[in-house]
Amino acid sequence: MHSLTPERRRVDPEPRTEAAADPVTHRRGRGDRRPGLPWILPALIVSVGLLYYCIGYTGFISTLDWDGASPEQTGVGAENFVHMAQDPVFWGAIWHTVVFFVLTFSIQVGLGMAFACLLHSRVHLRTFYKVLIFIPVVLATATTAPAFRQIFAPDGALNGVLSALGLGGLTQAWLANGTTALLIVIFVQVWQSTGVVFVLYYAAIGQIEPEIIEAARLDGAGDLRIIRSLVWPGVRGTTIAIAILSAIGSLKTFDIPYLITQGGPSYATEFLGTQIYRVSVALSQVGYGAALSIVLLVLAITTAIIINAGGRRGGRTDV
Amino acid sequence: MGVALAALATFALSGCSGSGSAGDGGSATEGNITWWSWTPDNDLAQREIDAFNQQYPNIKVTYKKVPNADYTAVLRPALASNDGPDVFTVAAGGRAGAVQTFAPYAYDLGPSMEQLLGANWRSKVYGAGADAFTVKGRVVAAQFAKVGAGILWINKEMFDRFHLSPPTTLADWVRVCQTFRSNGLGCLREGVGGAGFDIDTLHSIANSVEPGYWADALAGKRKWNDPTMVESLRIFGEFTRNGILDEGAVGIQQYPDVNNDFLSGKVPMVQMGTWYSQYTTVNSLTTALAGAGVPASTPKVTIVPVPFPDVAGKGNPNTLFADPDAAQAVNAKSPHRNAATTFALWLGGTPQGQQVLADNLDSFPTLNSIQPKWDGIQLVNPSVQRPELEKVTAALQNSSEPRTLGMNAVLQQAVNDADQGVVSGQKSPEAAAAAIQTAADANR
Repeated sequence: MHSLTPERRRVDPEPRTEAAADPVTHRRGRGDRRPGLPWILPALIVSVGLLYYCIGYTGFISTLDWDGASPEQTGVGAENFVHMAQDPVFWGAIWHTVVFFVLTFSIQVGLGMAFACLLHSRVHLRTFYKVLIFIPVVLATATTAPAFRQIFAPDGALNGVLSALGLGGLTQAWLANGTTALLIVIFVQVWQSTGVVFVLYYAAIGQIEPEIIEAARLDGAGDLRIIRSLVWPGVRGTTIAIAILSAIGSLKTFDIPYLITQGGPSYATEFLGTQIYRVSVALSQVGYGAALSIVLLVLAITTAIIINAGGRRGGRTDV
Repeated sequence: MGVALAALATFALSGCSGSGSAGDGGSATEGNITWWSWTPDNDLAQREIDAFNQQYPNIKVTYKKVPNADYTAVLRPALASNDGPDVFTVAAGGRAGAVQTFAPYAYDLGPSMEQLLGANWRSKVYGAGADAFTVKGRVVAAQFAKVGAGILWINKEMFDRFHLSPPTTLADWVRVCQTFRSNGLGCLREGVGGAGFDIDTLHSIANSVEPGYWADALAGKRKWNDPTMVESLRIFGEFTRNGILDEGAVGIQQYPDVNNDFLSGKVPMVQMGTWYSQYTTVNSLTTALAGAGVPASTPKVTIVPVPFPDVAGKGNPNTLFADPDAAQAVNAKSPHRNAATTFALWLGGTPQGQQVLADNLDSFPTLNSIQPKWDGIQLVNPSVQRPELEKVTAALQNSSEPRTLGMNAVLQQAVNDADQGVVSGQKSPEAAAAAIQTAADANR
């Protein structure tokens, strides 16, 4: 693999001396690190004061049996977490999240890369295709959900098309079957978010040195070999970022399953987000909902660390 | 009437033991107040507000309708803040606006009710409602609506087209549905789970199996895994297999999808309660169809209430079961508490308020002796609909069987889960009933 061309390396002509180093710190004396603090203090107060206070308060609520409104709060210690460990709906939500992440990530990466590579080649109406791919991203789920419910309804458009094509034997109540309902949720997510992945890959591919590609072509490499050996490794950082965002997004996915399937049928499309909403709001079990929220936070942080660490072992770019 | 109005204003100023009161509560006869609720629909609410403003022109009421499924989620943070609604509707139980959840935020309307209707006010209103909205000795909300279920709604034109009569037995129902399906139509369409209206379907089936069982189970006198419940779940689970219930019921949403399909004339029948009566009126049906995106030129369907069939085949008569549906609570932190109290008590405690509600047909009044004035209500098909509506209204007025009163949110969820389980075939009736009992035991 060709490395960066020499003229692009930054070479310092002279060794750095303390006197030639940061003139600010040199003027102010050794060990004085305060200048930056006042500038970040407002943001620090907001993030620490608001975000971490809320996290801490949620942790406190997770130790309560509370309906969220009553002045009476009953401390129950870790009982909510014990209940969670025994709750089949919770474990079902975890499993659905894993399946959701694996499928949406792999399909979106595949499609996003394919679209980005195609649109980096010589193709007519490039701008039109970019817009077409990105339109689903800007559509609100609240407006598209009724359309999807209609499409997949027993008397909906999909069954109508299948019947018209002579495939009436394949028609079914798609949203009434747990497996197909989950696949529909995944399909809608892929449809809605592939545009973002495409944009990220399109930008990342644009950063790859064209001379590298040219050199590979001169060596006789075809398109697929270039994509496999140059482009794909070159966008590793983007892939890791997408993986982290997909994982966290999978953990907190809510709008699509809530609006299309409401977590059903029989919790077949229940995710942590929908479960938190249902137990906290509909069932007024705010303590249990808070416990689920804490677990979601831990899972999100852990997942991000694991994916980032996994990327490091691969000779990565930090994200 | 002038004395009554003066009393209405006076009681709004009476002292109370509400929590977190904001100032003196302002004037009882003027101010801008907000009202949040899941019921009624916007057009009906506007009629009620317009009628209110004929007596209180200086109290401006802004109504915000929040869908049933989202109501608790929206209301809780609003009331916790200082910018919540002045008047908010609460329910006797369940998952949307349960009075037990929001009682801490409500102003005690007890003294005001006594000033309005006298010390014996409880004898002048729907008794179950008066009790349901009294929490720890405080009258936290003034009831204004009662609803019932135990009926089906049919599309009369569809039945007439195929020369069908409303089914009265299970066999009838199967035959009726066979006719509809052989002509490319569905039959009973229902979203099982979700909004929870399948609980009424199960309740109706249970009444057919053994009248009185459901009320006993609600009261804790019978178990939810009683053989009656098992049999009821078995019958419900067979609705799809015997062609009554449209396929995919566990994947459909009652609101808005089934509701829109039925009102736009695509579905022969649905199971819904007395609140559907509003759609027998020209105005409400027109508004509902507009909201569903149906062209205004679409012919309006004639929907008619019919008794739930005797599906158990035991000859048990169909009964309507009813509950206090909604009550107006006043936000104790409201700076317009007195004007809010005037409005809250006007809707449920005065003949004027209750009459406009009765004539809207979506709810039955809770103030005794108020009835809809049928001659002034513009029905889509009066000759067909009015006799049936009058029967249902009379049954609702006389109903003493509770609908879901005493059924907390967790138990409702458990019944929904059981219904989904048997309808989808994933659970046996025995297992489904056992799961309901487990939930009931865990949440006493």
